[in-house]
Amino acid sequence: MSKFRVFVSAAVALGIISPTAAYAAPTVDNTQEPATIRVAIRENNPNGEPDPRGRIVWVQSVPFYEYCQDVLPNEWMPSWHAESLKAGAIAIKMFAWYHHLHPITIDGFTFDVDNTTNFQTFRYLSRQPVTDRAVASIRRYAYVKPNGEIIELNYRAGIPNDPNWQYRNAQKMAQWGSQYWAQRGRNYIQILQFYYEQRALRQVQT
Amino acid sequence: MKPQRRLFLAVARSITAACVISAVLTPHITAQATAQADPGPHSLPVQQPGASSGERLDPYAPWPTARLRVRVIDGRTLQPLPGAEVVLVETEQRLRTGANGYTPWFDAPVIRNPRFRPLVAELHGQLTVIAYKNGYRDSIHMGIRTHEGLDSQATVWMYKIGPEDRRIEPVLYQEPYHHLWLIELVDRFRRNSQLGEGWQDPNR
Repeated sequence: MSKFRVFVSAAVALGIISPTAAYAAPTVDNTQEPATIRVAIRENNPNGEPDPRGRIVWVQSVPFYEYCQDVLPNEWMPSWHAESLKAGAIAIKMFAWYHHLHPITIDGFTFDVDNTTNFQTFRYLSRQPVTDRAVASIRRYAYVKPNGEIIELNYRAGIPNDPNWQYRNAQKMAQWGSQYWAQRGRNYIQILQFYYEQRALRQVQT
Repeated sequence: MKPQRRLFLAVARSITAACVISAVLTPHITAQATAQADPGPHSLPVQQPGASSGERLDPYAPWPTARLRVRVIDGRTLQPLPGAEVVLVETEQRLRTGANGYTPWFDAPVIRNPRFRPLVAELHGQLTVIAYKNGYRDSIHMGIRTHEGLDSQATVWMYKIGPEDRRIEPVLYQEPYHHLWLIELVDRFRRNSQLGEGWQDPNR
């Protein structure tokens, strides 16, 4: 026993075995909802649009829900069905929450997300009344693993007028697919369940 | 027919035509009248341009409208700017911002770019406004998105003229196209032999 302990501690000291990381995965039970999020603003291209490969100009701190409000009309189409917008609002919120827990540093700037399609398209003060209502309606909820672990909910544009099964296989929501299902009477929880398997809707601690 | 009677008929006909044309071309008169009132129910689309590719664009048919309001803020302090005059270029509607920096809700046309209309219907209409205020640079804001039957709002940034400013010219902000529509546009003209970035791979 003592020989084994000496061997293990020697192996750890020599760097052969790394000590087990003793941290709990961030869940909705042990993690507070972010109050603000750090958005890296990238340089515009010559046409005046943020360039996903452009330099980072500054990092803007935005209140978390204002960030969601200023993303949703740029990612989803405000004229789409309300249930599609709600599904989009959940995906945007959980994507941002995940990246708030996993910030990165590039060129000396530490941030959670940037304002381009590298993360989610963000335009400051571009919020619209209809998308604000969608964000407000999902405010108490989080869409996570059944054990509450916060994961990144990814989405892609997808194909119009199509259920976009291939995105379900890839565990990503198709934006056009969410509109397809909403027009056929599915609510936002059913849309999320279609694209993301083995997930659960949980209430957020306030 | 007597010449006087013929002249009378011609004059009456031209007056009728002028009334019809002015009603079509000056919706701002009715818009200004409604702008002060409380926001009412959504106005229903009158004409849906671009619904089918075979449909011809009729410039004299009334456009569908949607409610819009514009917020004007100081671009540096981000505080609302009351008393700025906002002009909707397409219809010459003129509105003034209130204490909270917002104009009243008004009916604005939903105009999709006719260049793309028969090819790829744009997902939203686009408008241009100009904001004027004493002591500030004029601000042009292009590409404001509007949707039939949906309330929209836009924010115009204005920049104060300082003592160091020499050449004072308007400021332009152009809203980018919605990226969902850009994806549709490129897919519409893609050939099977020219994949380019290709159809979206769900695994990327």
